[in-house]
Amino acid sequence: MSMERIKPHFPWITLIVLGTLVGIANPSFFNPAGLVSLTADVVPLFIMALGMTFAIYIGGIDLSVQQLANMVTVIATVYLAQFGIAVAVICIAAGFLIGAISGYATTRLYVPSFVSTLAMGFVALSVAKYLSGQRALYMDAELRNASFGWMFDNTAGVPHELIIAAVLLLLAWFLQTRTSFGRSLKAVGAGELAAVASGLNVNRIKILAFAISGGFAGIAGLIFSVKLSGGDANLANGFLLLAIVAVLVGGTPLTGGVGGVLNTAIGTLIVMVIRAAMVYLEVAATQQQMIFGIILIIAIGLTIDRTKLRIVK
Amino acid sequence: MNNWLTRDNLIRWAPLLVLLALICLFALIEPRFFSVRNAARIAIASTPALMVAIGVTFIIIMGSIDLSMEGTVSVCAVIFAFAFIALGGTLASFAWLALPLALLVGAAVGLLNGLIHVRFKIPSFMCSLAIGFVGTGFALLLTGGDRVRVEDELFRSLLTIRFLNFPIMVYVALACLVLAWFIQSHTKLGRNFYAIGGGEELATSSGLNVGRVRALAFMLAGMFYAIGALLAVGRIGIAETATGNNFMFVSITAVVVGGTALWGGIGGVWNTLVGVLIVNVINNGMVVIGLPNFVQDAVLGILVITAVVLSTNRKTVAFVK
Amino acid sequence: MYALRKIDKVFPGVKALSAVDLDIGRGEIIGLVGENGAGKSTLMKVIYGAYQPDSGSIEIDGQTVRFSNPRQAMHHGIGMVFQEQSLITNLTVMENIFLGYEQQFVRYGIIDWKAMAEAAKAQLAKVKLAIDPSAITSSLSFAQRQLVELAKVLTLEERVDGDLVILLDEPTSVLAREEVELLFSIVRDLRNRASFIFVSHRMEEVLEISDRIYVMKDGEVVDVVSRDVADIDAIQHKMVGREIDKEYYREQLQKAYSDQAPLLSLEDVSVSGRFSNVSFDLHAGEVLCLVGTEGSGREAILRTIFGMEHPTSGQLSVRGKPVARFSPQAAVAAGIGYTPRERKVEGIVAGMNVFENMTLSQLGNYSRAGVLNVSGERATARQWIERLAIKTPSEHKDCGGLSGGNQQKVVLAKWRSGGSDILLLDHPTRGLDIGAKEDVYDMIREMSDAGVGIILVADTLEEAIGLAHTIIVLKDGVAQQRFDGFLTQKPSLYDLLHHMI
Repeated sequence: MSMERIKPHFPWITLIVLGTLVGIANPSFFNPAGLVSLTADVVPLFIMALGMTFAIYIGGIDLSVQQLANMVTVIATVYLAQFGIAVAVICIAAGFLIGAISGYATTRLYVPSFVSTLAMGFVALSVAKYLSGQRALYMDAELRNASFGWMFDNTAGVPHELIIAAVLLLLAWFLQTRTSFGRSLKAVGAGELAAVASGLNVNRIKILAFAISGGFAGIAGLIFSVKLSGGDANLANGFLLLAIVAVLVGGTPLTGGVGGVLNTAIGTLIVMVIRAAMVYLEVAATQQQMIFGIILIIAIGLTIDRTKLRIVK
Repeated sequence: MNNWLTRDNLIRWAPLLVLLALICLFALIEPRFFSVRNAARIAIASTPALMVAIGVTFIIIMGSIDLSMEGTVSVCAVIFAFAFIALGGTLASFAWLALPLALLVGAAVGLLNGLIHVRFKIPSFMCSLAIGFVGTGFALLLTGGDRVRVEDELFRSLLTIRFLNFPIMVYVALACLVLAWFIQSHTKLGRNFYAIGGGEELATSSGLNVGRVRALAFMLAGMFYAIGALLAVGRIGIAETATGNNFMFVSITAVVVGGTALWGGIGGVWNTLVGVLIVNVINNGMVVIGLPNFVQDAVLGILVITAVVLSTNRKTVAFVK
Repeated sequence: MYALRKIDKVFPGVKALSAVDLDIGRGEIIGLVGENGAGKSTLMKVIYGAYQPDSGSIEIDGQTVRFSNPRQAMHHGIGMVFQEQSLITNLTVMENIFLGYEQQFVRYGIIDWKAMAEAAKAQLAKVKLAIDPSAITSSLSFAQRQLVELAKVLTLEERVDGDLVILLDEPTSVLAREEVELLFSIVRDLRNRASFIFVSHRMEEVLEISDRIYVMKDGEVVDVVSRDVADIDAIQHKMVGREIDKEYYREQLQKAYSDQAPLLSLEDVSVSGRFSNVSFDLHAGEVLCLVGTEGSGREAILRTIFGMEHPTSGQLSVRGKPVARFSPQAAVAAGIGYTPRERKVEGIVAGMNVFENMTLSQLGNYSRAGVLNVSGERATARQWIERLAIKTPSEHKDCGGLSGGNQQKVVLAKWRSGGSDILLLDHPTRGLDIGAKEDVYDMIREMSDAGVGIILVADTLEEAIGLAHTIIVLKDGVAQQRFDGFLTQKPSLYDLLHHMI
C-alpha cells in the first residue's frame, strides 16, 4: 500500500487510535454519558469548523470566524429581547454578509483571503465593541429559556445541541456532495483554471463559500452565546486556532479540493479526544494552545499537496 | 507635461500624501492635535509597532508573509522580563544581558519559523500563524497568565527621560530604523529580498540560494520583533502574554498602507515608517477629535483592503486564494 | 572547441533528440533553425545544462564534460540569453548583472555600490550600452534589457578561464529592425570574446548573422549549411520536407462543409497587443486552422472567442447574433467549447473523476433546483466512455490518473455531451502518442460530420494541412494569407512557412 492510498484514511485511524489510547489510560472516557457531554461541548467549535471547511476546500482561508462569532454573541444578547428566536436569523445573516464581503474582496478585488478575512474580522470586532459598549453583556434568563431553552434539552438522552450539529453536518454534506454548487466548489479547489475554462461562474462560487463560512460562524456564535448566556467582544477568542486544527487534522488540506465536511467532523472529534487526554494527563490549560499550535504545523505538513504549489511563498 | 503623474509615482508618494492629509484634517478639526505633546504621544505609541512592522517588511518584500509576531513578541517580552529580574533586576547589574538574550530568542523563533516554512514547504502565512499560536501558548505557559513587572528605573528611562520633548525610546527606534534601512539597501541579504520578491524563479536560476535567504529573513524579522517587545515592555513596564496582542494586524496594516505591496519586490522600511505613522495618527486623531475608539478597528480593516486593492496591478494576477 | 557527439534525449513516448552532432569553433556564430517541436529547445537545454543527455558526450577543447545544472555549465563558460526576459525588473541594472555573484563587492558585510557600478559599467561597455548602472531595470526599453542580459552573460568572461559559448534564444523577437542591427553589430564585435548559437524563427536574420546554419527536424540535424551557399528556400524545404500521409490524417473522410449561415463570425476583431483586424467565418462542419509561430496571435484569438479576453475593437457574432458579454460562462451558454493546450491545468480537473469532469461545463443540465442527478451524470459518462473508447476502469476513476489521450477524450466528451457545436481546439494532440493522436483525428472528422464547426491550432504544419478545410496564416497578430478549397488542392508546407516567417 502506498502512502498516497493510506492518506485519506489517516484521520479516522488517528481518531480511533487516539480514542483507544485515552480509553485504555482512563476507562471512564468511554462512559456514554461522559462522551455525550464531551461531544456536546465541542458543538460550537464544530459548527465553526464546518463553515471554515468551505473556505479551505476552495483553497482559501477564513481568519475572521472567531471575530464573527464574537460579534454574533453580542448581537444575540443585545437583540434577544426585541426579536426573540428570530434573532437567530439576524445572527446568521450578519455572519453571511461579512463573509460575502470578504469573498468579494478576495475574488473581485484580488485581496488574498487571509488579508481580506483578517481585515473583515476587525470590522466585525468594531461592530461588536460598538453594540456591547465594550462591556460583557448577559442575557435575561427567562427570555433566553423562552427562545432557546430547547437547545439544551434532551430527546432520548441525546442533547438537542448534538442534533443541531448533526442536522447542520447533514446539510453541509448534502451541499458538498449532492448539489451543483458543491461540485463547483470541488472544481474550484482542485483546479481553478479548469473550472474557469469550463465556464463555471467561479467568482460567485468563491464568494458564496466565504459567505457560508461566515454564516456558520454566526450559528456557532449564537449557540455559544446562548450556552454562556451572554455576549462579549472577546467571548469566542481561542476558537480560531482550534477550528483550523479541526479542519486540517480532519484531512482537508490548505491547498483545497479534497476532504470535506465529514473530514471536519472527524477532525473535531480528534480535537475533542486530544483535549480529553490533556485533561486526564493534567496538562495545564495554559499549555493547550501551544500543543494545538504544534499539532497544526504537523497537520499542515502532512496534508498539503505540494504539487499544487509551484513556488511556496 | 504630466508624465510625473505615473502609476509608479502615485504609488510611491500616495502614502505620504495620505499621512499629510490626515494630519491636516485632524489639526483642522481639533487644533490640540497639532502639538509637540501630542506628536510625542503618537511617537511613543508608534515605536514598538514600528519595530515589528519593519521586521515584517523584509518578509513582505520577498512576497511572503509573517503572522507570528504576536507570539514572538510575547515570548521575547516574557523571557526578557524573567531573565532581567533573575539577573539582578536593573540595567546597572548583569541584567543587561537580558537584552541580547531577548534578541537571540527572537532570532531563534524567527529562524524556526523560516526553517519550517522552507524545509517543509508550508506556505508562510499558515506556518507563521501556527508558530504565532505556539509562541503565545509558550508565553502563557511561562507566565501562567501572570503579569511580570519590570520596574528598573534605568530601563524605564527609555520612556521617562526625554530629550527635545521625545523620550529616548523614540530615538532608539529611529536608530533601529536607520539600521534596517542600511540592511535593506547596503547588504547582500537585503538586496536579495528584493530579488526574490521581484522574481523568485529568476533569482533561483541566477544561482541564488532562495531557501537560505528566506530562512535568514524570518530570523532577521524575529530580531526586530524582539526589539519591538523590549520597547513595548519599556513603555508600560509590564511583560505578559498579552504584550503581543494586536501587533499582527497593526503591523501588517502599516506595511501595506505604507506602500509595500503584498506581492513583494517594492517598498521598504521608509514606507513602513509612513504606514505606522498613518495607523497611529488615525488611532490618536480619532480619540483626540472625540470618536469612540472602537471605530478604529473597522477603519483599519477597510484601510488595509483598500491599500491592497490600490497596490495590485490586476492585469498581472490570474487569481488569488 | 565546443562539440556535441551523438547526443540522444528521450522523454516518455518521444525521442526528442537523436544522434545530434554539433561543432562550434572559436568566435563562430552558429544558427539553429527548425519548426516548433523539431528539438531546438531541447538541444539548447542540453547545451546550457538544464537537461542531461541520455547518451552521447559533450566536449570542450577535446575534454568530455558533464553538467548537472545550468550553474555548472556557466562555470564552463556556457551562458544563455533567455527568450523571455530574465531580468528582475524591480532591481537595478547592476544588481541584475551580478545577481548571485554579489559577494565580490561585499566588504565587511556591506555592498560597495561604487565598485559594483564600476564593474557593471565595464560589462555594459562590452555591449556598448551607455546607461546608468543604478537605473531600475523596469525603466529600460526591451532592446536595452536584451543587451543587459547579454552583458550579464558576458560576466562569465571574468569568472571563467577558457572560451565562452553564448546561446541567444529568439533574441530579436521583441526588437525593432534598427535594434536588431545594433544587436547584430554588437554580437559580431564580440566574436573575439565568445562563440554564439543563434536561434530564431526569422530566417533572414539567421542567414545574416550566422557563419553556419544547423537545420533540425524531428530531433535530428538534417543539414548543416554554411552561409555562402545557404538559400532560404532550400533550408525551409529541409525543415519540413516530408511526404504527408493522407491516411494518417483521415483525409479520405474529409467532406465539404455547407457555406450557409456561419456559426461564428469575426469582423475586424482586435485585442491590443495580441492581434489586430482578424476576420473570418466558421461554418458548420468546417475545420479552420490558425497557423503561425508562437506569439503570432493564434491562442489569443481562441481565448477571445471563448470570452477569456475582451476585444478592443471589432465585432464577434455567434449564429448571427453579436456577442455583447465576453466571459467563458456566456461562451459556454452560446455553445462554444474550448480544449486548452494546458490539458492538465485548464482541461481536466485532476482530483475529480471522469463523470464529474464531463459534466462540469453543464451542471445545469444535470440538476434540478441545484440538486444533482448523479445517476444521470454517470449514465451520460458511461455512454461517452463507450462511444469514444475512453480507457478507464469506470466513470469513478480520477481523471488525473488517465493517460493524456484519454484525458483529451474526456475534455472533448465534456463539450460534445453538452451539445457545443463550436469547438476551439488548442494543440489537441500535444504530448499524445501516435495512437491517441489518430483517435483525436477520428473524433475531429466525426464532429465535422455531425455539423460541429472547429477552430484548430495544430501541433505541426502537417497536422494543420491534413485536417483543415481552411487555413489562415498569422504573423505578428495579423492575418497574412488565407488558403481555401482543400478538397481539391492543398497548400504545401512550404507555402505556409513562407507566410509565417
